[in-house]
Amino acid sequence: MRNRRMVLFGIFRGAAAIFLALAVGAIFIFLSSKEPWKALQYLLIGPFITTGGSGIAFNTQNFYQILAAMIPTIFTGLAVCVMFAANEFNLAGEGCVLVGGFVGGLIGVYLNMNSGFHAVIAVLVAAIVTGLIMLIPSLLKVKLGASEMVTSLMLNFVMLYVVLHFLNFNFADRTKGATMTKAFQETAKIPPLVPGNSKLSWGFVVALVAVVIVSFFMYRTRWGYSIRMIGINKSFSLYSGMKVGSMIVLSQVIGGVLSGMGGSIEVLGRYNNYLWRDLPGYGWVGITVAILAKNNPLGVPFAAFFLAYLNKGCSLMSTHSDVPSEMIDIIQAAIFLFFAAEQFLAGTRQKLVIKTTHEELEQLEKARLAEGGSNNA
Amino acid sequence: MEQGEYVVQMKGISKVYPNGIAANKSVDFSVKRGEIHALIGENGAGKSTLMKILFGLEQPTEGAIIVNDEKVHLASPTDAIARGIGMVHQHFMLVPSLTVAENIVLGITPKKSGMFIDYKKAVELTQEYAQRFNLHVEPDARVIDINVGMKQKVEILKALVRGARVLILDEPTAVLTTQETVELFHELKNLKEQGFTIIFISHKLKEIKELTDRITIMRGGKSVGVYDTASITEQEISRKMVGRDVILTVEKDEAKPTEVVLSVRDLQYVNEWGKRVLDGVSFDVRSGEIVGIAGVEGNGQRELVDILFGLKLPEEGTATVGGENLIGRPQAAIRSLGVSYVPEDRMAFGIASSGSIEENVISDRYHHRRFNKGPFFKMKTLHEESDKLIFDYAVHCKSRKQEVGMLSGGNIQKVVVSREFSSDPILIIADQPTRGIDVGATEMIRKKLVELSREGAAVLLVSADLNEVMELSDSLIVLNSGKVVACLDDGNWDDIMMGEYMLGLKRQSDEEIGRSCHA
Repeated sequence: MRNRRMVLFGIFRGAAAIFLALAVGAIFIFLSSKEPWKALQYLLIGPFITTGGSGIAFNTQNFYQILAAMIPTIFTGLAVCVMFAANEFNLAGEGCVLVGGFVGGLIGVYLNMNSGFHAVIAVLVAAIVTGLIMLIPSLLKVKLGASEMVTSLMLNFVMLYVVLHFLNFNFADRTKGATMTKAFQETAKIPPLVPGNSKLSWGFVVALVAVVIVSFFMYRTRWGYSIRMIGINKSFSLYSGMKVGSMIVLSQVIGGVLSGMGGSIEVLGRYNNYLWRDLPGYGWVGITVAILAKNNPLGVPFAAFFLAYLNKGCSLMSTHSDVPSEMIDIIQAAIFLFFAAEQFLAGTRQKLVIKTTHEELEQLEKARLAEGGSNNA
Repeated sequence: MEQGEYVVQMKGISKVYPNGIAANKSVDFSVKRGEIHALIGENGAGKSTLMKILFGLEQPTEGAIIVNDEKVHLASPTDAIARGIGMVHQHFMLVPSLTVAENIVLGITPKKSGMFIDYKKAVELTQEYAQRFNLHVEPDARVIDINVGMKQKVEILKALVRGARVLILDEPTAVLTTQETVELFHELKNLKEQGFTIIFISHKLKEIKELTDRITIMRGGKSVGVYDTASITEQEISRKMVGRDVILTVEKDEAKPTEVVLSVRDLQYVNEWGKRVLDGVSFDVRSGEIVGIAGVEGNGQRELVDILFGLKLPEEGTATVGGENLIGRPQAAIRSLGVSYVPEDRMAFGIASSGSIEENVISDRYHHRRFNKGPFFKMKTLHEESDKLIFDYAVHCKSRKQEVGMLSGGNIQKVVVSREFSSDPILIIADQPTRGIDVGATEMIRKKLVELSREGAAVLLVSADLNEVMELSDSLIVLNSGKVVACLDDGNWDDIMMGEYMLGLKRQSDEEIGRSCHA
């Protein structure tokens, strides 16, 4: 009884947060736009529906583009889920996406392989490299007690400039106008899943497989179990005899591996050359995804879908109306705020709890009376 | 200014916590001016919640509070203090590095020329109140250096200096020796004569009979009656408290100890403030016996247990289990030697409170081969194991999936104990195994401890509950100031004698103490 009501309340609260966040966005649209209704239409239904000369139609290409945009954020969302589950606020996923993309890209350019394993090798090597990079903040945390939040945040910029250095001085293709590597070999590219220009590659399938694997890992294996217990209560885990230090390191290495996979799959599935010269932002989106998913890996694809949908809506809105695409930052920030606020609707929750408790007490009382009656009889 | 008969009235108080626990269900509670009123009930009966509401720490869900015939809203302790209500918490709220006088004036510090702390005035104020209420403290002593009894006086003075006319004492005798308790009662009676009202929370029937005028008994979040202390017997109180007669003696056969399991030699430990907390402690625990450690809190028990379970490193000394060294080993290694540990602070060490019951009972064994197949858990075996433990230890819950933090204190402790007792331990370190839990769970845990020891486990029992150590132990070690001052192995002990050893008034000869070591 209590559980069902609380689950329903959780869903209601999530929906309310999203609705209110969109309402906040709408307020700003109405304040800044001369054509607010048109802007809203593109923002909310534009990603799915095209209204053109031939009437109303479901827009398949837009839908594929949304799915394609989910690929890197599913990976970073999963990475953040694992790290946050251990109560480790490691923010280096962002840099790992960049490094993963760079390493995967280089292998795609310079390694000669004929078989279809080229892309697989590129992604795996990228994942291993970023996994090893995560040893830095995690070992500093475990061995020296340095806050992983600070070291990982700083590490992002170290990774960015190291990548830029090698890109500029060693791997840039001088024949191109912009700074980018030579083109990937065809064997290294991740093939598209559907025809067309949507960039929806097989990486999407890999991402969904990763969701299943990570959620099995977290809930069905001894390592995932101890990572979660350490996140709930570190002293308890230590006292129970868990290898707390190793597990903290493991959780962050897994975070690095997943982020690196996301980065390399994105680069090899979407582009022809490696061309990121700034932090791509997927690591940060991953944090939003994990928070929306409440650290549950199975919630990650849904959260990633929602954010990709909003993103698409915003870019359509900025193309077709006078509202700038920065609007998405306002809406995202508002969602973030409502979701993260523990006290949001706490009063309603408390009333529900009281109601449920009263009902339970009444039932108990009834049961006791019934029992007493039968005893007497 | 004093008007009606009642100084405090609480009417129809209900409290539902955000986690759904209904701690109070329409409770009526009134205290007459100038009486000592006992509030008694099992843990989880709602006493603490009711008093927290009266002290402004919690807000009632329903109900009214009337102080001095005036309906009040107590949003914080500041409001409560302004109404003349003071509280002495079970765990003292003092700053250890400050002196007694500084602690007493904390927050209401007298100032010199508006800026500097007038320490002399603080001392004078302390002395004035100490004398007026016959509560003797040393104003210049630092709180870290004074004993528990003294700390309690400081807490009482703190409340009085802030103008309290009604004092709430939350289980004040839990940490005191017999002698200190006698002294406290004397002081409380003195306060009563001066017109103060005292609300006295306790589980201890004897003390209540001795000290108080009236009693409110609580059970299951409700008040089950108000009585004149003189007109009700201890048995009646006990029956009303638990709804049945409870015999808190544990039947046990005579111990037949065999080989030494735990051997501790000459442990020395100096704490972070440079105080020598353990000073050459040596003893043995043999298979098949329960060795109790008695002592006033803060005499080295805490550190001893921490060292044995690898949470602290001693300066010197050895500790072995079955011949294997314990010192400096990680907890996993200590557990693999067959040591299990019921921690004193169950919320901080014993459980992961937002985890499920299942996740909590498997925390020491989840990596065993029988629960794993390749990389995966055998979920069915895990479910069977947790259901079995829940059944064997009678944990009241809806299912193994229920969050542990939602259970009552007694049930949480059952979860901890079910894990610690079921791993075939050769040594059980039980640190305050029944502190603050209900009678039913206490009884069950004590029985299990005896049972396990008779089946061959070595049990080291540390408890601040003197009755518990005296009742359960086959032999007793008394610690005072980090030293073993007595070893009693003949079963002939009583609380007067224990009190003398615990307070360091008496000490056995080295030869007698040496009996605690068998090899």
